[in-house]
Amino acid sequence: MLRFIGKRLWDGGLTLAALVTLTFFVMRLAPGGPFSKSRKISPEVLANIQKTYHLDEPIWMQFARYVKGLATFDLGPSTRFRDYSVGDMIASGLPWSVTIGIWAILVATLVGIALGVAGAMRRNSATDYAAGIVGVVGVAVPIFVIGPLMQVIFALRLGWVPVGGIAEGWRALILPVLVLALPNIAYISRLTRSSMIETLRENYVRTARAKGIGEGRVVRGHALKGTLLPVIAYLGPATAAIITGSILIETIFALPGIGRHFVDAALNRDYPLVMGITLLYGALLILLNIVTDLIRAWIDPRLRNGR
Amino acid sequence: MRNLLGSALGGMALAVSLALALPALADDTLDRGIGSEWSSLDPQVNFDAAAGWIQMDAYEGLVTFDGTGKVIPGAAESWDVSADGKTYTFHLRDGLKWSNGDPLVAQDFVNGILRTLNPETASEKGYYFYSVIQVKGAKAIADGETKDAATLGVTAPDARTVVVEMETPNPHMLDIMGGFQVAPLHSPSFAADGAGVFIDPAKVVTNGAYMFKEVVPQSHVLLVKNPNYWDAANVKIPQVRYLVTEDVNTELKRYQAGEIDITYDIPVNQIEALKASVPAEVSIGPSTEVTYYSFNLQRPPLDNIDVRRALSLAIDRETLQAKIVKGGAIPSYSYAGGFDPDYHGPQIAEATMAQADRDAMAKELLAKAGYGPDNPLKLKIVTTVAEDRVRLAQGVALMWKKTLGVEASVDSMERKAWLDAFYAGDWDVFGDNLVGDFAGAETFLAYMRPSAEPGYNWVKPEYDAAMDVAAEEVDPVARNEKLAAAEKILLDDSIFAPIAIEPTRHMVSPHVKGWSTSAAGYNNTQFLSLE
Repeated sequence: MLRFIGKRLWDGGLTLAALVTLTFFVMRLAPGGPFSKSRKISPEVLANIQKTYHLDEPIWMQFARYVKGLATFDLGPSTRFRDYSVGDMIASGLPWSVTIGIWAILVATLVGIALGVAGAMRRNSATDYAAGIVGVVGVAVPIFVIGPLMQVIFALRLGWVPVGGIAEGWRALILPVLVLALPNIAYISRLTRSSMIETLRENYVRTARAKGIGEGRVVRGHALKGTLLPVIAYLGPATAAIITGSILIETIFALPGIGRHFVDAALNRDYPLVMGITLLYGALLILLNIVTDLIRAWIDPRLRNGR
Repeated sequence: MRNLLGSALGGMALAVSLALALPALADDTLDRGIGSEWSSLDPQVNFDAAAGWIQMDAYEGLVTFDGTGKVIPGAAESWDVSADGKTYTFHLRDGLKWSNGDPLVAQDFVNGILRTLNPETASEKGYYFYSVIQVKGAKAIADGETKDAATLGVTAPDARTVVVEMETPNPHMLDIMGGFQVAPLHSPSFAADGAGVFIDPAKVVTNGAYMFKEVVPQSHVLLVKNPNYWDAANVKIPQVRYLVTEDVNTELKRYQAGEIDITYDIPVNQIEALKASVPAEVSIGPSTEVTYYSFNLQRPPLDNIDVRRALSLAIDRETLQAKIVKGGAIPSYSYAGGFDPDYHGPQIAEATMAQADRDAMAKELLAKAGYGPDNPLKLKIVTTVAEDRVRLAQGVALMWKKTLGVEASVDSMERKAWLDAFYAGDWDVFGDNLVGDFAGAETFLAYMRPSAEPGYNWVKPEYDAAMDVAAEEVDPVARNEKLAAAEKILLDDSIFAPIAIEPTRHMVSPHVKGWSTSAAGYNNTQFLSLE
């Protein structure tokens, strides 16, 4: 087991190294630089500013400087947000992204599984169709449509929650969490439903029923575990996607998360901030994939023995 | 360097506690949208107009602006101008204090300018002091040739006097001194904590009507009334919160929900509906941003003035703004000062003609140059990706096609690429825009000097000469007349087609009193009140 984790971490490290190198050089291909904002600044002054941020050095030296910084967890200064270092910006944005991300994945998992199980148990019933409709809507209607729509209904018309911002604390997070969860509720419920239908046909479930165990216990004690395997496999990448993919949500709901830093950084050629967030996203994806594999191996003995 | 993991965990704990706390929305707080996040709260570094609002509330210059953009006394109660117009002597008010109670002295203003110019500060706005106005010795300090503060033409002979000496007379120096460009520096706190002090509400010291209480990146800045401000008795709003409002549609909804009192902008496609439903809350006025379409003088046939004039004539500016862009911009037939009531500049020669006559003349001119329906002129327009800019370019292309048979393609690019493209010269027509350094014609005309902006490849010694003449004039009225003479030379060469003056667009809640539109763009909270 330890060897497995070690190998995965090593592979992950290599992937990150490739990611850093590639991002660093590809980013410089984009026209413009962090300080080309206006045509009125004199070349001498611009040169001075470039020098302060070591942008006047040959690119390989800048790369070496960056890698050296990474070794000490120094991600460099932000050129877009002049008052902050990249570490500061990530530290201020990440908690928001993680908070709404984790809540969204929790809501999506609980509601999605519940809907999926309900659908599988009462196939072709009203419940099943309702869950199906939620599924289709959740997947088909994009966030930038459903988000503003929910703002109009729940914030402007009903006044239950604020439109955006963080002034009203947790109430401000309700809509973004729901909107972020919706496509995942849809996906998880469809996944659970088909998986449950399949599992309910398995021999061990039939055995359990033959022993005279009630249907509720059959589902909870026996079928659910088998049903959840594909859901868990989906959860790892989905969590990463939710945390990294909340850019639209953060913009629509005016939340100070990391996704917005990322877009802002890219548009403003904030090289260190783009690097820092790319690195973070990469690490997050790799880690969550490893964790998913571990959980699957723990639940499913076949995977464990296969290795 | 801060430990990343540690601060991430700390931040996470903070977010959780913030999320659990439920602060009541106080009615004594003015909530203002500011668009994208400020790039810096460092008063000597910040270069963004929107962040400038925060700074205008937190720091006060020697002079400041009222809500309409007029220069009024600030930290200085009066000033004298020498006969040659080159030396300004400011007299500070008696008993001025910083927000922590320290005395505010003339040297603090000198130190602020010195720090802006210091290359180590890496500030982008030192050019205000050596290019927009020519302060003695400013350029040498900005270029790092000298560090000797005594060589700078800004001095404090005593605690209540600031003297500014310039190379050339410039009545607009007051506009610069009042703007967010010139905040004093509280040296003790800066010396103790460096630039980090400006984002730390516990440590930052200000001299304006407000002081910092909360700074949350990508979210908001909360300012509270500064009890040590000299005019604190007349500051009516206890708190002002500047909210980052990146998405203009979300901002409008937040306004409608009462979360924001004054917006940063209005979504272009909502303007008409809002004007119909809540006309009193829509505040649209001219800004100091001018849009014009520059022609690439190095690319034939655009080196031919007939072709350039034809293209300029065929743009129906009224239809463009009223029917196509619909963003509230004001059609313009001149370049500079359309928002400056004291400047009476020229317009392009055909401004008074009807559009049908202009179109006929345009066809004629283009035919003379050898282009017409059977030999269409092909052009590339380069513009930014902003929705209204793209629509503008498509509208212009359409008018050129309809009237002149010109085949124009629109190449829209992200802003940084657009800036680079200008100097790369890979364009026939450049969707250009310029934001003035102050609300006066001169800032635009000075920028168009071939010696100041070589990117247009415009060779015109007469223009530089005419601008030199104006630059020596002390009397503001005579100076504007000389500037107008220079603008005539500029417009006559048709190196660009003037298009419009861009608007400032705000939704202003009926609770807010004292608001007025200002081309200078300064609406200091201290002059507003809440009902």
